[in-house]
Amino acid sequence: MAVTETIAVGQELPTLVKEISQRQIDTYSGVRPNSIHTDEAWARKKGFRTTLAQGMMSTAYVSEMMTRLLGAGFVKGGTMSVAFIKPVYAGDRLTVHGVVKEMRPEGGATRAVVDVWCENQHGEKTAAGQASGLVS
Amino acid sequence: MSEFKKLTYDVLTVGEEFVSNDHLVTPEDIDAYAFAVDDHHPWFFGSSPFGGAVAHPTLVANQALHLRHSKYIVHAGLHAKMEFQFLQPIQPGMRVRSRGKVIDKYERRGKHYMVTEYVTEDVATGAPLIRGQFTQMLIPERP
Repeated sequence: MAVTETIAVGQELPTLVKEISQRQIDTYSGVRPNSIHTDEAWARKKGFRTTLAQGMMSTAYVSEMMTRLLGAGFVKGGTMSVAFIKPVYAGDRLTVHGVVKEMRPEGGATRAVVDVWCENQHGEKTAAGQASGLVS
Repeated sequence: MSEFKKLTYDVLTVGEEFVSNDHLVTPEDIDAYAFAVDDHHPWFFGSSPFGGAVAHPTLVANQALHLRHSKYIVHAGLHAKMEFQFLQPIQPGMRVRSRGKVIDKYERRGKHYMVTEYVTEDVATGAPLIRGQFTQMLIPERP
């Protein structure tokens, strides 16, 4: 259910919490040898402490938050630009945040622009950027 | 017959283009993705404002991200940045294909990056579904 009637600049969106299991990473990335996502020995050889979630998984979490906010106005007409700042490891717990930055007229509609970021269980930002969508 | 080369910064050419295989989006894809990202929105499994189920907006993002694998053997890489414009919803039963073009490559702090612009389209109609671009770091192969 979209909550467009309540959107205001400065509004903090309800956070999402994602605990990322190796099984989910395996499903997302596809299991194969010599992969930093699904082959722990290979990930260690490449200098990581264990396997990494694909950065793209964080874009899915942002997408979920934006679809909860805007519904169809994100699925068709949404945008996202996210930089991946720190690795996300198997077993990490991410919290996904969003704050409405701007409500911009666009054609006959309004585009909600949201600052978005993900933090790990240590409070470190792992991804950050902006997402937007149309308010119906 | 394609000849696959090892991807290195020197071999990569700005302007070169990639095309993915076609992929049929199935309900099983949507279900697996819902598990992978722990998002079980009802629109993925039943009716939606778009007349039937829709896929998670980022469901086929890996098709675009893997475009360079259509020409190169990729030793390892890290994803640095991703941009999407969701133009039309992706629905089960669609066949989708991604096309990409390398629009930049650069070195920063001793690391090599490539930037690819892409579109994911509905194979049946040619309609663009998603446009965007992404930046990937090239991790060099070491013995």
